[in-house]
Amino acid sequence: MTMKSWKPRSKNIMIYRLRHATTYEYAEPVVLGTHFMHLLPRERPGQTIREAQLDISPNPDSRRNETDHFGNATTTISLTTPHKEFIVSLSATVEVCQPSPPTPEDAPRWEAMAAYGLQDVSVAEFCLPSPLARPTGEIADYATLSFPPGRSALTGLLELNARIWQDMTYRGGVTNNATTAAQTLNSRVGVCQDYAHLMLACLRALGLPGRYVSGYLRTLPPAGQTKRRGADQSHAWISAWLGADTGWVDFDPTNNLLVRDEHVTLAWGRDFQDVSPLRGIILGGGRHSLQVNVDLEPVLT
Amino acid sequence: MPILQCTRTPWNTAWHSVKPVRMHAEAPCDELIDRSGRIRPVWVPVISAVRDLGAPELERRCIALNHQMQMAAPFGATAARHYDPLPAPLTAAEFAVLEAGLQQRATLLGRMLEDIYGAQALLSGGKLPPALVLGNAHFQRSLHTRAPLTMPRLGLYAADVLRGPDGRFQLLRDHTGVIPGLGHALALRRLAAGTVPEFFRSGGLRSLRPTREMLVDHLQRHAQGGLVAVLSAGAANPAAARDMLDDALLARALGVLLIEPGDLATRHGALHMKTLSGLLHVATLIRGLSGIDLDPLEQGGRPVAGIPGAFGAIRAGVLNMLNAPGSAILETADLAGYIPPLFMEMLGSAPILPQAGADALGLASKAPFLSGGNLISRPLFFRLYAWHDGQGWQVLPGGIGLGLAEDSAPGAVAIKDVWVQEADEPQMFAGATPAEPVSRPAFLAAAHLPSRVADNLFWLGRSVERLEAAARLLLLALPRLESGTSLPRDVAERGLIARCLVQAGLLPEELAGGAVSGRLLRGTLARRRPMAGLLKEVARLVNAASERLSPSMLATVQFALHQAAEALSNEETALPTLLGFAATFAGIAAENMSRDGGWLFLEMGRRLERGETLARNLASLVAAPVERLEPGLALGIELADSVLSYDLRHAGILAPAPVLAMLLADPGNPRSLAYQCNALRSCLERLGADDDAEFARVLQQDAVNLAGVTAELKAPLEDIGARLRQLSDRVHRRFFTLLPEAHQLDDDEELEAAQ
Repeated sequence: MTMKSWKPRSKNIMIYRLRHATTYEYAEPVVLGTHFMHLLPRERPGQTIREAQLDISPNPDSRRNETDHFGNATTTISLTTPHKEFIVSLSATVEVCQPSPPTPEDAPRWEAMAAYGLQDVSVAEFCLPSPLARPTGEIADYATLSFPPGRSALTGLLELNARIWQDMTYRGGVTNNATTAAQTLNSRVGVCQDYAHLMLACLRALGLPGRYVSGYLRTLPPAGQTKRRGADQSHAWISAWLGADTGWVDFDPTNNLLVRDEHVTLAWGRDFQDVSPLRGIILGGGRHSLQVNVDLEPVLT
Repeated sequence: MPILQCTRTPWNTAWHSVKPVRMHAEAPCDELIDRSGRIRPVWVPVISAVRDLGAPELERRCIALNHQMQMAAPFGATAARHYDPLPAPLTAAEFAVLEAGLQQRATLLGRMLEDIYGAQALLSGGKLPPALVLGNAHFQRSLHTRAPLTMPRLGLYAADVLRGPDGRFQLLRDHTGVIPGLGHALALRRLAAGTVPEFFRSGGLRSLRPTREMLVDHLQRHAQGGLVAVLSAGAANPAAARDMLDDALLARALGVLLIEPGDLATRHGALHMKTLSGLLHVATLIRGLSGIDLDPLEQGGRPVAGIPGAFGAIRAGVLNMLNAPGSAILETADLAGYIPPLFMEMLGSAPILPQAGADALGLASKAPFLSGGNLISRPLFFRLYAWHDGQGWQVLPGGIGLGLAEDSAPGAVAIKDVWVQEADEPQMFAGATPAEPVSRPAFLAAAHLPSRVADNLFWLGRSVERLEAAARLLLLALPRLESGTSLPRDVAERGLIARCLVQAGLLPEELAGGAVSGRLLRGTLARRRPMAGLLKEVARLVNAASERLSPSMLATVQFALHQAAEALSNEETALPTLLGFAATFAGIAAENMSRDGGWLFLEMGRRLERGETLARNLASLVAAPVERLEPGLALGIELADSVLSYDLRHAGILAPAPVLAMLLADPGNPRSLAYQCNALRSCLERLGADDDAEFARVLQQDAVNLAGVTAELKAPLEDIGARLRQLSDRVHRRFFTLLPEAHQLDDDEELEAAQ
């Protein structure tokens, strides 16, 4: 495939201070806990981790840091001292400098993406259905409206991003971690995760590669802009592949944004299940309550 | 074709006449007869033994073989297939080709697997389509480590091979995930040698033993003192089971434990099994269940159905799995077509075993099988096994032959043992060598008894005792409730009986208030069927504990259970039959079980149940002023089955002191409270539970002392009952509840909180 080489037009480096604390409080002591976490931010083109650390209380008996299939950082810990409170706090300094995407005229036509995606080992699996982002006939119909033959992939993506943002109602507590894209298209309501799954299923219905990105959105918007949805919490959006030259470009359908320098990436996968931030198997504990605090603030340089 | 008929005519002619030799190359071969119509030499000794035995005898042997297999089945599973006593012999030359073919193919598949979970050069180089691999349900992202594990991901391999019309072998399919039938391959020989020793007389057969022992040695050496076990789905999750009979046979043949996910726990990132002596490190698991959804920690799902932390342990090199989860990807039909070109690409040689075409099964060679004493000819394929010894692939000189229905419909209908000849000389060897010595599993210390099994045996002991006590109580109650005299003594006695029935759960509390008649009790029993419920619970626990009962013991118990269940509908014989079952069970446990490990828990369950029942019944029966104690004492003696002993000793004169002495304090009466406490103490001492043994000793002392008290026994007896329950709890905490059920930390709540 020949494609015009594309150069970033702007280079705004943003430095963020990230804090993400998760606190579980149990009614009864947990005597044993094993946890598997995707809670350390990964490196990616346009994102450098200056420093990151995960503080865990109580202190784990064993701790294993690994890199998963997608290149995300994972942490596995085991707790064998009885505890009624479990706290995981991430603090990191992250440099973000997403190159701006090509202009729509420079981006390849969407059909080319669909044709090449399956051949590339690093892209192929993101073209395929995954449990929570599985295309259906309805989803394909919905997606096709934004991708008439011959259209630039970027134009189509921006339009789809905007349509989902428009058609969906943002409401928490209606959906859960097992809600599928098909259900979301039906109900048209959900949170960032559901917006992302729907958009991914749309892309995959057309054979376009798309991946689920978990991360954070800056707490306060840039001066003069409206407050974003999904700030102050774990956020999710999608990444679409625009060919070997451009690579992956991120879209945030919850805020109708093309991701530039307000987002910090934690991990990516085919859908939420691949990057669930904190899983655990515990003995004891009884009922528990959970508190999550996220802060993503620019560091003044 | 009936065998008797064959004995009258030359064998080969008879066979020949049924199946005319066709020189056409596209007709299936016959394993028995060569193209010129002669019996192949490798079959001669077997066929002459078949002739000598005759049809009726052969049919009996066939039934015996299948019966033995059924007895080996754990958890009450039925052996679904038919086991054929006729072998599927291979010559040394034939096996040499197969051996080389399997070694070559396993080498290739092993390398492919390492690449798929490693550098993925085959994917980026276009040799395997990325979407087919990455989109495959068997591709385990969690084990894409980019680097080798401590042992090869493919450690065991099986190939289904058939003989084509040209007489050459073709590869039908690979097994790279769960290896089906290896347990059968190692066990069938021994069982067949026991049931049809005549087949083995000529000798010249390669033994499976050296290969098996090398495999065991390799596994144990690599485990470095950790446990090696076969991981089966277990009785709790039969839906996930592939072939639990095969798992059990394999564990037995290798002398390793058979365990299920619920026996395992992760501590400090490594896997452990809960045993009576605590948690033991598990180093190697031979996987009998699917690798998909195996680790609920990383993949979500119910913790009881998998092993939380298993993937992390594998990646960290503290757990080895044969085969590694995700290895079944090479079995999938999508990828099969991409494998043949890779022989040249990766090994630099053409495949020794060509891949069979789509219609190959219809042209598979045919072999004789026994059916109702007759020989019938069925299409057959071979399943052969190989294992990686750290350097290269070893091929088992045996395997199983799977017979298909005549129409070659998929799914084997019969299984037979594959023989490999030692050499290609004619089979006229002098002197018989034993075909396969009885395997002696490595010694398993009682301390290695899985807590789950001990738990099941404990409850089995309790439930059999509960069944017996209920039957005994009903036998006593029914006739007395029928006789409806209104004499004060009879009325008092009926009241006491009703009390005991309520406590035993045989009569609802609300029915016991008024006059309880025999009719009322019969009606209640017919409606609520409590005995059927108790019997069902016993049957369930027998199945759950079956791996610790010897096959003959299991068969006897199951037969007795069956009889008891049959008898339930007959009012006259039901209760005596149930008592008979309890006696059979107690007798078998006393005579057939060694006094270690499992038996101790069976015994404790029984003693605790009997002690609690006695204390509870007596507490009700003696709750009367001294002058009205007589009916209660009489019932107490009768319930404890001690009438005869009491009459002999005390000439039938009922007095409180001797009755209580006999029921509470007599150390020689197996139904006295002191006896139960003493038995419990002795079990606990042998298990090294000194503080619990002391608890039982004090309890025994108190029971003995109680016999001297005549006034107000109700409260102290209730106290003894409560302390027995306390002891039961202590046994539970100490031995069974190392691992309470884990649960998934619900991450939905995290999402809600995050939004």
